[in-house]
Amino acid sequence: MKLKSKTEKCAMEKKRKRKLEKIVDVETDSTLNAEVDNGMQVGKEKKEKSSINRKRKNKDKNRRKGEVDLEENSDGIVHDHPSEAQEIKDTEEHGDADTGAAIKSRKKKSKKKRKKEASFVNEVENPPKKGGDPDQDQIYVISSGDEDFSKGMRKWITEYHQSRPGLNILQEQIDEFITAHEEKLEQERIEREERAAEGGWTVVVHHKGRKKTTDAESGVAVGSVAQAAVENKMAKKKNKEVKGDFYRFQKKEAQRNEIMMLQSKFEDDKKRLQQLRAARKFRPY
Amino acid sequence: MEGLGNHAMMDSTELKVSELLKEVHLYHSSHFSSIVDNTVSAIKSCIDEIPVDFKVTADVAPKFVRDIGADKVDFMFKKPSLIEIGGSYSIQSLVRPELNVDLIIRLPKGCFHEKDYLNYRYHAKRCLYLCLIKKYLEASPSIGKVEWSTFLNEARKPLLLVYPAAKVAEVPGVFVRIIPSATSLFSLSKLNMKRNNIHNLNHGTTLQATPKYNSSILEDMFLEDTAFVNKTFLGWKEIREALILLKVWARQRSSVYVHDCLNGFLISVVLAYLASKQQISNSMKAIEIVRITLNFIATSESWSRGLYFPKTGLNSITKEEKIQLKESFPVIICHPSGGFNLAFRMSRNGLNQLQDEAALTLKCMEKCRAGGFEEVFMTKIDYAVKYDYCIRLNLKGKKEVYVSGFCLDDECWRLYEEKVHGILAKALNDRAKSIQVTWRNTQCQWSVNDLNSQLQGLSVLDKEPLFIGISVSTLEKAFRIVDIGPNAESKDEGLEFRKFWGEKAELRRFKDGRIAESTVWESEQWSRHLVLKRIVEHVIGRHLSLSMENIIGAVDQLDFSLLHGAGDPVSYSGNLLGAFDLLSKRLRLIEDLPLKVSSVQPLDSAFRFTSVFPPEPHLLANEKFESLRLNKYVPSCVQPLEVMIQLEGSGNWPMDEIAIEKTKSSFLIQIGESLQKTWGVTCTATENDVDVLMAGYAFRLKILHERGLNLLNKEAGNDQAKRVHSTDKKLFIHSQHASMINGLQSRHPIYGTVVRLAKRWVSSHLFSACLLEEAVELLVAYVFLNPFPLGVPCSRINGFLRFLRLLSQYDWTYSPLIVDINNDLSPSDEKEINDNFLLRRKGQEENGKSTEAGMFLATVYDKASESWTGVSPSVLELKRLVAYAKSSANLLTKLTFQEEIGPYRWECLFRTPLNNYDAIILLHKDKLPYPQRLLFPSEADNGKLIARGHASKSFQPFLLPKDLKGKPAALKNKLLIDFDPSRFFVRDLEASTKEFSNTFKVWHDSLGGDVIGLTWVESYSSKKRKQETDVNQAHNPPKVLKAVGQVGKGFVRSICFLKPPKLTN
Repeated sequence: MKLKSKTEKCAMEKKRKRKLEKIVDVETDSTLNAEVDNGMQVGKEKKEKSSINRKRKNKDKNRRKGEVDLEENSDGIVHDHPSEAQEIKDTEEHGDADTGAAIKSRKKKSKKKRKKEASFVNEVENPPKKGGDPDQDQIYVISSGDEDFSKGMRKWITEYHQSRPGLNILQEQIDEFITAHEEKLEQERIEREERAAEGGWTVVVHHKGRKKTTDAESGVAVGSVAQAAVENKMAKKKNKEVKGDFYRFQKKEAQRNEIMMLQSKFEDDKKRLQQLRAARKFRPY
Repeated sequence: MEGLGNHAMMDSTELKVSELLKEVHLYHSSHFSSIVDNTVSAIKSCIDEIPVDFKVTADVAPKFVRDIGADKVDFMFKKPSLIEIGGSYSIQSLVRPELNVDLIIRLPKGCFHEKDYLNYRYHAKRCLYLCLIKKYLEASPSIGKVEWSTFLNEARKPLLLVYPAAKVAEVPGVFVRIIPSATSLFSLSKLNMKRNNIHNLNHGTTLQATPKYNSSILEDMFLEDTAFVNKTFLGWKEIREALILLKVWARQRSSVYVHDCLNGFLISVVLAYLASKQQISNSMKAIEIVRITLNFIATSESWSRGLYFPKTGLNSITKEEKIQLKESFPVIICHPSGGFNLAFRMSRNGLNQLQDEAALTLKCMEKCRAGGFEEVFMTKIDYAVKYDYCIRLNLKGKKEVYVSGFCLDDECWRLYEEKVHGILAKALNDRAKSIQVTWRNTQCQWSVNDLNSQLQGLSVLDKEPLFIGISVSTLEKAFRIVDIGPNAESKDEGLEFRKFWGEKAELRRFKDGRIAESTVWESEQWSRHLVLKRIVEHVIGRHLSLSMENIIGAVDQLDFSLLHGAGDPVSYSGNLLGAFDLLSKRLRLIEDLPLKVSSVQPLDSAFRFTSVFPPEPHLLANEKFESLRLNKYVPSCVQPLEVMIQLEGSGNWPMDEIAIEKTKSSFLIQIGESLQKTWGVTCTATENDVDVLMAGYAFRLKILHERGLNLLNKEAGNDQAKRVHSTDKKLFIHSQHASMINGLQSRHPIYGTVVRLAKRWVSSHLFSACLLEEAVELLVAYVFLNPFPLGVPCSRINGFLRFLRLLSQYDWTYSPLIVDINNDLSPSDEKEINDNFLLRRKGQEENGKSTEAGMFLATVYDKASESWTGVSPSVLELKRLVAYAKSSANLLTKLTFQEEIGPYRWECLFRTPLNNYDAIILLHKDKLPYPQRLLFPSEADNGKLIARGHASKSFQPFLLPKDLKGKPAALKNKLLIDFDPSRFFVRDLEASTKEFSNTFKVWHDSLGGDVIGLTWVESYSSKKRKQETDVNQAHNPPKVLKAVGQVGKGFVRSICFLKPPKLTN
């Protein structure tokens, strides 16, 4: 049984992975569509770009790879040293130049983009003086993370889509779980009984399992007791018990307890008053 | 037994009272007496220096003399015939913090003529006399400074405040008030209430009586004659204590302790009256005397007749005199020696306020815990918290106020108060329960004869704004949009109505067929709170010709925090409830399910009007939708709304919790599929949640399984400390909470709005993680359920202020807060709650940890404060919350009284100072799920920039037009339900605490702020200190912050580092 279920699970996982990949694919597409705008562009420009993008996407798939690489470069972690940042900038320009050469139709576009990226790097190098006087070496650039599934926004979006595989799949998972769970319970029960039997003893167990509460044919509830009724019954039972003050000494004890309690309460009050006094709680101004 | 309990409780009140007396009562130590004596003798010797027969003319204070309209004021200075200490010092009942010794200076007969009671001559001479004294006092070395003040806000009766040069720590700010008296200067019969003594006042042919003017002089003539009061107080400790307590009581209530109502002297007169009537006796304790006095004030019939002391021998008041007094004054407390009304300043409205306040206090004593000590004596009731609507009128430089003279029978400012009150009372009609109009114009530093005011005279007294406080009768009436006036047939009344309302009056035909004059204040449901404000602005503007910017009401200044664009999203609530009804109908109709749906209950706060942003219907969440291209902005995120379902009972459920949850999911998926099939609604699910997109909303379905509740109870018995609620238990508590709050909201319609403001405040100060929304709902509920010593709040700003005060003033360390919405709790329940509370506190004392929960909120469904405040706020967090609440409450109070300086004053209530954190993370605004909810874009203006982040492209809060093409099904997939990056970010940060080894605490705003605050956790256990290298690594702030930035890739805009952690080793 277990083995079988394992293999099934494996298969499931494979399926899921495949799906995931699909999703990822779709998403890389969409990110390409979205363009490298930092929210600075006006709607018109966006439209133009996206349309161009779509055309381009249809044209050449290989180039897309290059584009992804480039993005990785540009978004790569710029570490503490400005020289490194410089290097990255260089490579960026190389990359851009390459792709720029390859796509003549998009020359203008990429130029623009390059400008922007260059300006961004500049910005990083000469950050505005607003935030105190930050040391330029220490500013650390966090990538947008669009290529990284382990952290950040990209992860959350991916998780979101993964968590909603569709009703049917979820239902299947639940069914699987329930059968496995029931089997596990059954297994445990059998083991328990076996263990008991081995010792030569027969354990008399109260069978907890399903009680017959509905008639199989008609579906009418049989023998199940309403919660309220049980509680009611229990409450009644309690009343029948012998009262605490049946004997005289009990009464006395109860009285003494009560007085003790009051005394302790009074003491508490006093303590509290002292605390309040210490906190000047009695000064109305 | 019960008697004993009661006794113990009484004792605790008495203990508190005696503590209070110790705090406020000034015992006359020899040291204090010597200071007073020294000052008095210094004053005496100064006066002795003044040369006798010095000629005093009006030139000493010409403007004052001119403005009060006196003629013939010159006199020769003579020494006062008596200098004596009077007032509360003489009966040993000075009350801190106002320590003033009244020094009575009897004006000599030689300075006055027989007829000087006429035409303000007395007032002018009195003032000139003081001017002279002041000049000599200022030259004395043993006197610190001399200031002008007024006698009970009466500008025509100035007096001098003399501060001794020697400062004593024991009695800070003690000063001597020099009050002139006019004993036997004039003939009493000339000052009869029926006489006119201002002759240059020409009102037609007959001269009008001047009762107030006459009383003003009579007051000075009887000033020394306080033996009837003093004899009661000397040698009777309890009544002196009662006087002190009543003074404390009155001073805490700004609405009662004003010039047209109560003052310390009148309280002592009332006490003396009660003693003379034998209503209080020597055997009573101070607190009992207080209670009897308040009861007398609140209920006695004698107020309508007037209070007359019992006849003593010669002094008897004739019936005629009584009738005269009755005709002249609304409230009468007659001086025992004859026809002078001690309460001549008290207005009818003042008495009403006083009686209301006394009645409310009695209720407090009866109903509140521990005899209402806190509420009665310790709670400050200022105007801002007392009145639902607080309005200020700026009357600076307004000549109309004193156009017919500053001082007539009454002073022009008092007449103006009356006028404003009259207009408002007429305009607001039954909308207002009470209206107070107070112009404390002499509170400002005022002087009779210094250079500045010499130029202006009394006209400088309009600097302070006039204050209007309005208590609403009921919300329905206050929010009414139509006022119906007289019928069209009654011409005269109609004319008057038109005259009063101006262009606002219109003739209308009503549904019942009658045609009547009316005023209509058309406004949308969510802006009905503005109706009252509009009425006030209209009538004040019309009748007092004030411009709008001089009428400042604290009404709508906080609305900005709840609005989306121009409207309040609460207006969608009707829509939402309709959609919910449809959903529950459809759920009940489901046939293809093994178990039928038996009940459907809304859980989300949007259903009970307490959600800050109730969702707007979403275009893509409909069953069918038209082309979307026209709509510019379609949000890509949808808030799901929890709905709880119960199924028919069945025995087929599994027994353990995991299996139950799985079965529930399975049921819900089937329900979703069925809905999809039958009605074409979209359903999407995750492992834990099932969401149905219907009628513009996303509903998240949950099943409550009753047996799940019992499962918990069995486990709970074993381990008290580690009680983890089962899903069902949580759901059950949610449902209990939802239905209780819903009930409260229907009882108090303003409740929801106040909760929304409170929630907005909590989250905008980044407390979202500390104080859950449900806890906020309960706190506000407490304000509505336990309003004492005030009435139930009837406006959003008042309710919000009281929420802040509750949070900042409640004694969280020593008392549980019990919210009993439907009066369900019996005394034994309360005892149980108290025991739970003590148990928890005891545990905390033993642990000595400040990380444990600091707030104890108990309700019927949760007597151990576990559901919302079990973990947070911790003691430290609560401390921070309380500090924030205190400063916000103070700011809000200030704003109702003062000019706002700069444009951002009100907004400061919701703008949190970012320098209170050790590091801050700024987020990309355009990656927030609901960018329109951001109140203020944050910028870090101090600290060191550590990191910058690029925005991710994988998420946009709005669907772009290009995304909106395609088939409906595909479009619906683009909709993100319950997608909230900031929540995920905080979750991931907290999940990776191991990585950061508990180095910081996260403060965030769950409603859509673009900033997250971090504070370093200071103390770490000794275990960690051993692994020092580890600690050092973890406490490398830049490194930690970079790692933080990595967790929020694509979302974090920048990270600023403000303060390094304090290293404790």
